[in-house]
Amino acid sequence: MTEQVPLLKVNHLQKRFGKFEALKDVDFAIYPGEVFGFIGPNGAGKSTTIRILLGILRASAGTATFFGRDVWKDSVAIHERIAYVPGDVYLWPNLSGGEIIDLFLKLNGEKHSSRTDALIKKFELDPRKKARTYSKGNRQKVALIAAFSTDADFYIFDEPTSGLDPLNEQTFQNEVLRLKQRGKSVLLSSHILSEVEKMCDRIGIIREGRIVETGTLTEMRHLTRTTVDVQTVRRLDGLDQLAGVHGLTVKDGTNHVSLAVDADQLTTVIQFLTARTLVSLTTTPPTLEDLFMRYYETDTQPAEGK
Amino acid sequence: MIGMHLTSIFQRSGLLIRFNLKRDWVKLVLWTVIMAGLLTVIAAKFDGIYSDQTAINEIVKTLKTPAMVSLFGAFTAQQPYTTAKVFATEMVVFMALFMVVMNIMIAVATTRGDEDAGLLELVWAHAVGRGAPLFAGVSELTLLNGVIGVLFGAGLQVAHMPGADTAGNWLIGFALAALGWAFGMVTLLVAQIADNAGGTTMLSYTVLGVMYVARMGTDVSHPHLTWWIPFGWIEKIGAYQANHWLPVLMYLLLGLVSLGFATGLNLHRDLGAGLLATRRGRRRASGWLRGPASLLWRQARDLMIAWIVGNLVLGASYGSVFNTIGDLAKSNPMIKQLLGATALAAANRLVVKNFIAILAIVMAVVALIPAIQLMLRLVGDERKGYLHQVAATATSRWHVWAAYSGWALLTGTLVFAAGLLGMYLMGLTNMHDPIGWRTYWHVFAAYLPAMLVMVAFASLLSGWFPKWRFLAWVWVAYGFFSLYLGNLIELPKWSKHLTPLGFVNKVPVKGVDWSTNWWCLALTVLLLIVAAIGYRRRDLAQ
Repeated sequence: MTEQVPLLKVNHLQKRFGKFEALKDVDFAIYPGEVFGFIGPNGAGKSTTIRILLGILRASAGTATFFGRDVWKDSVAIHERIAYVPGDVYLWPNLSGGEIIDLFLKLNGEKHSSRTDALIKKFELDPRKKARTYSKGNRQKVALIAAFSTDADFYIFDEPTSGLDPLNEQTFQNEVLRLKQRGKSVLLSSHILSEVEKMCDRIGIIREGRIVETGTLTEMRHLTRTTVDVQTVRRLDGLDQLAGVHGLTVKDGTNHVSLAVDADQLTTVIQFLTARTLVSLTTTPPTLEDLFMRYYETDTQPAEGK
Repeated sequence: MIGMHLTSIFQRSGLLIRFNLKRDWVKLVLWTVIMAGLLTVIAAKFDGIYSDQTAINEIVKTLKTPAMVSLFGAFTAQQPYTTAKVFATEMVVFMALFMVVMNIMIAVATTRGDEDAGLLELVWAHAVGRGAPLFAGVSELTLLNGVIGVLFGAGLQVAHMPGADTAGNWLIGFALAALGWAFGMVTLLVAQIADNAGGTTMLSYTVLGVMYVARMGTDVSHPHLTWWIPFGWIEKIGAYQANHWLPVLMYLLLGLVSLGFATGLNLHRDLGAGLLATRRGRRRASGWLRGPASLLWRQARDLMIAWIVGNLVLGASYGSVFNTIGDLAKSNPMIKQLLGATALAAANRLVVKNFIAILAIVMAVVALIPAIQLMLRLVGDERKGYLHQVAATATSRWHVWAAYSGWALLTGTLVFAAGLLGMYLMGLTNMHDPIGWRTYWHVFAAYLPAMLVMVAFASLLSGWFPKWRFLAWVWVAYGFFSLYLGNLIELPKWSKHLTPLGFVNKVPVKGVDWSTNWWCLALTVLLLIVAAIGYRRRDLAQ
């Protein structure tokens, strides 16, 4: 995949608001047909990054290009090929949902289609209600329907499902998978880890204005630790001296412990354990939560973990 | 609701009041300082302007003309005329207008404003009484008007105008405070009827507009009928003469009754609901709704139409007094024999034209209000997040900016034209010798370029310094103040030149100064170009 030309290329992006450095160094690329998960704690700079990519904010330094064109200078040409759903959807209070959907389509040079009607039905939106009377979830649906019925090359979703019920969230996930099948690229910023796990090919983690990690989930799992629960016949003296062993706790029963092992030290540790004759051994791969928690915590050195 | 005790309905009002004051204090202090300062400074200056009896008698003669009566209310004071009596006529209606505007703004923000923003939902979810937010709003308004009233009274005491007495000073202070408070309460009532902040503001200003125009009509024709119009009660205090306190009581009563209804409705309605509920909309957008310009039209068309119709009516109501003003023979039958019919007609026309020259400023400022409002809405809509999604579509920044600037310039133009048209049409129907359309065309041509400069300046602020956009309002307010009152309180000439409106050559009494027009238009274009560049370059407000 890396041999392809990226659709979106972000190069050492920085953004300053007065003295506050919102983005310090944001660097990633998204390739055709890829769903990219963009995750990080609140205030890490996800929305700021997305707003720069959309030409709403201007970068203080660094570059970002869509389809090889500058996001600020060529914003209009780029936007013709992009669909966007913001995290907080604000709609003109005196227009109906149906009108707003049509307007968004027209603003991108498209038209209300049978697909639009199908999406309105799927998301169960009442298009005749005025936006003033919509709940948060319904406002998000309006923006989602407009985005999904736009025929774009690149879709940007900034925490799009925070107000949706589980059924609508399922509809959202199905629609994203549909885009993926049609070879479209998606940038999905989200806090819902199951969503990210299910849909994203690659993930970028941002913290305090810096991309701290990018890669596939499998790659990231390698960077983390496996939890091991083990009981042996012989004593486990010296286990805590091994490299890559963390959080050793003694459990009930003789020679019964649980520990976390760095992925790259797993072989050595397991060999050490087998040499002491196993009674039982359970290993649990790291969950996404474990993975994210490590990055979300304020700890400055991600490799140290918990 | 029956089971609810009074104490629980208003539980934690004190906390909310403190919170509101903490949030609004800058706004409140600014209003207080400006209002009290304005009244005191002008009162102190009055002594110098109308120092001798001849000057006073001269201005009294002017104030008794129907034109001035329509602007400032009937001059009812008896001989001997004093500076203070002149002041009581000239300033009271003028300040009353500002008091009402201030109260509408604060009352809307503290009630429907909070509700629309979703703050009220959070507040109500806590152990706060159902009526506490409304009560907090009432307290804030009462405090504000009370403080301003006391400062008015104290300011007048300090200014120490000849002919002023303590009773009259405090009467003016408390009458203005009572009027402001009453209209604040009326706004709170209106806020229960409309179901959003925009609707409340619009309905409140409609109430004010209708009352202002109605009192103008009754003042000119049958002053005693003004008793039927709450806004006109303020003219009946007769400060420094009869010193009537009845209007003050009537305002308090009006306020209490409005508050009673407002509380009743407030306790019984749902959050976000009003008597006038929001209707359902269209299933699909019409073919017209397709870009930033048509989108803004949909958002603001009610407002634009209301201002156009409003100014047409205002113009027409001024026009309805032209015949009375322009009839010199009525007040002095000898004049016809002295001047002859032709010369008399010319003199009559000159009087009306002089009046039109003053009204043109009123019309221009009224037209500037919706124009500036629309222009600054560009920044407002960004802050509210509406424009972020538009910016993410294939719509250029330039297009969005042009839509707002274009509508602002056009609205200003149309509202101004509507005011002049109102005067023209009404003059046509009720004057013996109507003023021709050419005169109004000259007024239009003379004032429009200066107005456009002020709108373009607001566009410039939106493009480069969105945080400083309130300066556009300061400029308009200054323009109104320096030109409407400037002649009466004898401001120096340079102070009128701080606004482009001040360069306009007393049209239609004098001819249109085309060189002024050209540089105003050139400046407008220049400002707009710079504004467009700025809007393309900056971050959207968030």
